[in-house]
Amino acid sequence: MTAVPDRARGVIALHEDSCTSCMLCARECPDWCIYIDSHKETRPPSTPHGHPRVEAVLDRFAIDFSLCMYCGICIEVCPFDALFWSPEYSYAGPDPLSLLQERDELGTWLRSVPEPEPGSTDVR
Amino acid sequence: MTDDELADRVRALLGGSVSCSVSYGTVTADVPRERWVEAASAVRDTLGMVFFDLLTAVDVLEDGFDVVVRLWAPADRHGLLLRTRCPRDDARVASLTSVFAGAAWHERQVWEMFDIDVDGHPGLTPLLLPPGFEGHPMRKEFVLAARVAKAWPGAKDPGESDSDLATGRPRRRLQPPGVPRPGSRP
Repeated sequence: MTAVPDRARGVIALHEDSCTSCMLCARECPDWCIYIDSHKETRPPSTPHGHPRVEAVLDRFAIDFSLCMYCGICIEVCPFDALFWSPEYSYAGPDPLSLLQERDELGTWLRSVPEPEPGSTDVR
Repeated sequence: MTDDELADRVRALLGGSVSCSVSYGTVTADVPRERWVEAASAVRDTLGMVFFDLLTAVDVLEDGFDVVVRLWAPADRHGLLLRTRCPRDDARVASLTSVFAGAAWHERQVWEMFDIDVDGHPGLTPLLLPPGFEGHPMRKEFVLAARVAKAWPGAKDPGESDSDLATGRPRRRLQPPGVPRPGSRP
């Protein structure tokens, strides 16, 4: 029995601070298993004569792993590198609802996301 | 043997009515429907494609259906896609069971999922669908019940939540790709 490779596609990790609530992953997901709620907040201008900026603030980010087919399209499509493959796989639960992981739980998988491969042209 | 060399050999073997292309490391030969069985038999006997990998179909809308079979040459370690097209109003192909007996289950699946008739098949009965199931779920006009019952999570715009969808001003919303609109069923 060999160890699971660190680039195995076990679970999807969320780096919350990188997420802009742009909805691209939720729209591209073939299984409709990514749920995002957000609201708009107005930020004061950064320069004395600038305009205030409106930005979306994440309220909810959840992936339902009982529906997910582990295609990785959400990770590929994310323009802000907020989603990553983690090799962890041991998150089976007693009922399907336990596979609906909210953003806190998705964030914990970051601990096992490997560094980019040396020499990789992938900016991720 | 490189992919291009294999494509040349397939062209030489099957002749002018077959076009051969190489994309993403796969050689694909497009065969006229009337030569479907003959082509599979020829590549099996001449090119060593003795392993039947899979057979399936693709709904290409007004162009009809593509029926695709993937064969593999274990000795030379290369594979080949054979593809044929049938029109939508005459969706039928000849059975490959005389060449590969294992094609029988795959053809039953193509028959029940796409409603593509398989001429010469020894026993066309449903393989996966339950008794009494109506429709052919792999056809693009088939509306999946789960896609009707569930709201699309991508309908929201950045900065919106579910409550905005219910109370916001009515406006034209983004629609999910690949899902037929209600009432669009032919």
